[in-house]
Amino acid sequence: MLQRRLFCTRISKTILQSNPGHNHSKWSVKQVTKSNFSATLEEISTFISDSDFIAVSLKNTGAYSAPWQRILPIDTAHTAYLKAKYAAERFQVLQFAVCPFSIRGSKLIVHPYNFHLFPRDELKIGMPSYSFSCQSSYLTSMARQGFDFNACIYDGISYLSRSQESAAIDRIGNASHITRKVQSPSGHTVADSVFAERIKSRVKHWISSCRDTNKKPEDALISALRKIVSGDEVYGSRPCLSIDVCSERQVHLVLETLKDFVDVIPLLTPAKGGMTMSIRVVLTSSEEDKILLQKELQNEEKEHNKRIRGFREVIDLISASQKPVVVHNSLNDFTFVHSKFLAPLPPTLDEFKSSLCEVFPNVLDVTHLMKEISPLKKVNNLPASISYLKQRFFAPVDMEISNQAAEATEVKTLGHDVLKISELFAKLYSILKIAPKAPEAAEGHLPDAIECYINLFNPCFASSHGLADEGVSVWTDNTRKISIKNLVFLWGFRGGTSAGQLKSLLYGSHEVFHNEFDVRLVDKSCAVVVFGNPGFSEVLLQLMDSGGICTSTLKEMLADGLTAAGYEAYQKVCELGLWEADLASSFERALEENDSFSEAHSQELPGICWNNDEMINLDDL
Amino acid sequence: MKKQCMLKPLIQISHAPITSFASRRRALSSSSSSSFALKNVTKSNFESALNDLRGLVRDADFVAVDLEMTGVTSAPWRDSFDFDRYDIRYLKVKDSAEKFAVVQFGICPFRWDSHKKSFLAHPHNFYIFPRQEIPGSNQSCEFLCQTASLDFLAKYQFDFNVCIREGVSYLSRSQEEEALERISSTFMDESSDSVYGLREDAEFPLVRMADVLFAERMKNTIREWHASLLSKGSSSSEIKQMSTDPNQRFQMVFFKTRPALALSGFTSRQLRVIKSVTKKHFKDLAYVRVAGEATSPQQLIVYTDSNDDKDLLMKEVKEDLRKEAEIKVKSAVGFRHVIDLLSSERKLIVGHNCFLDMAHIYSKFIGTLPLTAEDYVSSIQKYFPCIIDTKILLNANGVFQQRVNKSSTSLSRAFVSICPQIALGVKTSGLADRPCVEVEVQVDEKRSLNWNSGAKHEAGYDAFMTGCIFAQACNHLGIDFTLHVLAGGLPKETKLQNYINRLYLSWVSGDIIDLSTGKCTTDTSASSNLKSRYQEISFPSIVLLWGLTSKLKAREIKACIVKVFGPNSISSVYHLDESAVFIQFSKPELVSKFLEIKETLSRNSDPISVLHPLSDMLNANCTHAANYDVYHQICSSPISKKLFADQAEAVGIKHKTASSRAEGKKKGNQVNRVFDEVVDDMMSSSYGYSETDRSADSFYIDEALASK
Repeated sequence: MLQRRLFCTRISKTILQSNPGHNHSKWSVKQVTKSNFSATLEEISTFISDSDFIAVSLKNTGAYSAPWQRILPIDTAHTAYLKAKYAAERFQVLQFAVCPFSIRGSKLIVHPYNFHLFPRDELKIGMPSYSFSCQSSYLTSMARQGFDFNACIYDGISYLSRSQESAAIDRIGNASHITRKVQSPSGHTVADSVFAERIKSRVKHWISSCRDTNKKPEDALISALRKIVSGDEVYGSRPCLSIDVCSERQVHLVLETLKDFVDVIPLLTPAKGGMTMSIRVVLTSSEEDKILLQKELQNEEKEHNKRIRGFREVIDLISASQKPVVVHNSLNDFTFVHSKFLAPLPPTLDEFKSSLCEVFPNVLDVTHLMKEISPLKKVNNLPASISYLKQRFFAPVDMEISNQAAEATEVKTLGHDVLKISELFAKLYSILKIAPKAPEAAEGHLPDAIECYINLFNPCFASSHGLADEGVSVWTDNTRKISIKNLVFLWGFRGGTSAGQLKSLLYGSHEVFHNEFDVRLVDKSCAVVVFGNPGFSEVLLQLMDSGGICTSTLKEMLADGLTAAGYEAYQKVCELGLWEADLASSFERALEENDSFSEAHSQELPGICWNNDEMINLDDL
Repeated sequence: MKKQCMLKPLIQISHAPITSFASRRRALSSSSSSSFALKNVTKSNFESALNDLRGLVRDADFVAVDLEMTGVTSAPWRDSFDFDRYDIRYLKVKDSAEKFAVVQFGICPFRWDSHKKSFLAHPHNFYIFPRQEIPGSNQSCEFLCQTASLDFLAKYQFDFNVCIREGVSYLSRSQEEEALERISSTFMDESSDSVYGLREDAEFPLVRMADVLFAERMKNTIREWHASLLSKGSSSSEIKQMSTDPNQRFQMVFFKTRPALALSGFTSRQLRVIKSVTKKHFKDLAYVRVAGEATSPQQLIVYTDSNDDKDLLMKEVKEDLRKEAEIKVKSAVGFRHVIDLLSSERKLIVGHNCFLDMAHIYSKFIGTLPLTAEDYVSSIQKYFPCIIDTKILLNANGVFQQRVNKSSTSLSRAFVSICPQIALGVKTSGLADRPCVEVEVQVDEKRSLNWNSGAKHEAGYDAFMTGCIFAQACNHLGIDFTLHVLAGGLPKETKLQNYINRLYLSWVSGDIIDLSTGKCTTDTSASSNLKSRYQEISFPSIVLLWGLTSKLKAREIKACIVKVFGPNSISSVYHLDESAVFIQFSKPELVSKFLEIKETLSRNSDPISVLHPLSDMLNANCTHAANYDVYHQICSSPISKKLFADQAEAVGIKHKTASSRAEGKKKGNQVNRVFDEVVDDMMSSSYGYSETDRSADSFYIDEALASK
């Protein structure tokens, strides 16, 4: 350990000297594929347990299929989760960068790795993924960064999620060393004892025949026949007897009977569907030999697990370490992590949070920490955040990479985001004065200052704290909370209409359109109207329903098919998964789906933030 | 460099083990230098390859094609089953063609050389990738990948990097039309001129100090230039000084015979300031944005003589931009030019088991696939009037069947057995004492008579193999190629009429669709083994059952239903996937009976229902049953869930029993009678319709007692 530290400082010094500008492209991230995965796994496990934090970042094959399916400022935490869920279920992670890091004063010690994943069906059981979607723009941008698709598809690491693993165990036959407790069957019938007796004598005879050293050499045919008749086999170098069973009860009986024999180890051969097909009895020559065999079996199981779990071993390591995980876009990344490596995503955000919390108790999102520093300004991407901090704060961070081999001549730029996340977090850590109360000492306990940022999976516009609600006008550059009750979705207007045109069409057409209101396009087919006055959205909806008094422009638009719906309809669209290419057709389908729409949706409607800057505006495009 | 290798092997081997063929081939290939690569086409050489291909296709007698895709089935249950009706088969093919991408397109034109009595083939291997070439297109280029298919491609060393980085992009006809329409509407619509920097938009507010200073400076610079223009001659020094500006930010140029200043090296914000300054202070200067030499647009301040001149200029600029955008769209059409070429030349297209390939071609390059097979067939005929499937050819002709083991009409195996002289490099006596057709391969300047250096499952090589098989098959049918070259086309050959435009809708079932009539027939020779296993399938007597809780085996389901409907009620039970089964009843009436019982059972939880023999199987809350039409409905949905049960739920077949609703309501009151009928069936073991007054309750108690 000491040696490595010395070594790493030397490298970092040379790099720092040659390149005082902290250029990220000079840092090299270790690229991991199937060929070097085993070795890396050992390495990273020590780094994970030695570091204070673990940064992760994912590169996926796509994010959203239609503009409105992005997470938008109009989304509540719930709808944002549903959108993220939909993406995570369809797209695939191709790169998973993991970077265990520690902060020591102004020094940031990082150990970055970039794993190349491919959901290859290694075990021929149709898992982990039958198919996945790709967006060609994502693939081309990955290609531009130098991503090697051949390496990924030929040599990417596969995986199984936790739930897939348990499902797979039924299907793959692997002689597993029995670990389960054999409960004695209640009450022996006569048939049971006959069966047990027969097994006992069979095993006894077999053992004695195996021990019988002065066996006459047999004819090859006879020995082959004998093998078939007696179920005699060889397990490695040891003799082995195969006993066929036809029920779980017989399995218990056989195992119980075998307890009487000291030198044998039973192995269960599972059949399809989780049943046991036969029991193999392996004979060991001595007590030491038995221990040796047990160890062998354990190793085999470990190897086997590694083969099954693949990359998930890394996820399990991170989870087992209970270290805080630092990400840039937690909702997006962790919906992927959950669906690919844990289990299918649950239908609601709360279930997702609690399910994830069991595996990753501490998730820190740098975007939320950034919000603390610049609550109003939208600093969304990593480089912008870093330069924003650089401009405004003095928070020097010296990065030190320690897991690089000396021959790191080829500078690999893939997976650099994880370094940026680490750096950004380190800066925030010092700026926000998150006093490092000796993190080594406080095992698993974070400083209180960041405790409140843990496990926020809200999209950052819907961030729940500390936002000014002091009557700031919506129409300025400020953010203010707007209840989703004040939103009305409009669709069915003429194609190509801009938000401004729509607004001027609506303006003055009814009394609700006299006062403060704003119109934004969600996508080209659907707009959202924001009312300053709480009751107006209902008025508008009723008006649209009844077709009551309105001006000729509005009447004309209604005749052309203008339709309106409240926020519940939008929630419904997301809940039912009506992910059409444009929001208007999704709404139409939702209305078909449920005619009695307005009822039973009187739950507490949470607020969302309305920020002019963050609104997608097709005029700007 | 046009070296022709006409080295013909002298050895005549009629029957020898394949291993010796192989070893000899290696020896031969080294002597005849026939191992050059086929023509790989990517973005960089696409234009030239397309130009060459035009001539080759025009001269060709037929063109063989083959495609490599990112996947075949979007879910396991989307695979082809015996229980699929032909409309379902089309839906499944449609789903596949719509969801997956084509990554490699093999095209191999074959031309008959009457003098040499041999074919000349030009194998081309196009890497294609659906890149989003034109901005503003609303369609997101998204496609599905089947993990197993990618793995398969990887096994055959497919180069994904070349495909994604260098692949030729394309637009379908409808995409192109849409893009052109968008352009014309953009240029028609005055209000959206801002996109192209033409609209005199609202004045840029100078809020920052830097902006104000910059605006002032720009105003002076432009004024100086403006003044120098007006006072011609005297101030040439001024211009000179400006053009020798170290940063070259202003450059004196001429734009459409008008003096202009080319702006470079400004930020977009600065440009907006300049624009607003120009607009505000100089009435006779026009600020325009035109496409520059490089990809980035070029900003100009142009001097105009008058307002009319200014309008004229703006019009010209607009027209240029429009042309520019149209050229961009034309070039984005990319690989579709190749398809257009094949279509416009109306050549005979040869493929191997190519129904899916054709569907891909249609959906990627022509337009959205129609909803029914009939519409599709009549539509594709317009673009490709003659298509031949070598798989049909091989299976329909007895002599080939002797040679090709029926189970192995896979392309590469068929190639080896039909064209050993090409595949293995030996000269054999050929089929039925006819000499083999020789195929000479030309790639660029290289030619060879026994070329064989492609890799299996490389589209270009697969297309080559397909073409060779077709040539050989024609030869065997006794077709004189020389005659056809003169007479004008193989499609008119009478000996091919039985095969032309007939494609396997599904190889599994042997359903053949006739593209010219749209009729679907079953190839009895190919699928005789299948049809004998399952008796004639009657679709109205099929019930689809999904959401089965336990891992019920088909046998158990059968046993359970037989208990209620009598011993001969079911002819077969077939697993669609682990979550769904088809139940083939012996009579269509039993379907509605079954569905009604199912509905009753799921509605009630009284003892009758609980004790009903079917209630074990039909776990009320998650098991659903439906008739065959619902299967059609589910298959036509664009959604693809991995499990059929999930799919059915996602499609929205919510009601527990998806029989037609009206019927359900009508018969709702008659459920009791249905029970009675069933009872009667049980008692008499006949399906006669009779009225009994015996109540259902008593029967099930009887039944329960009887089983004790």
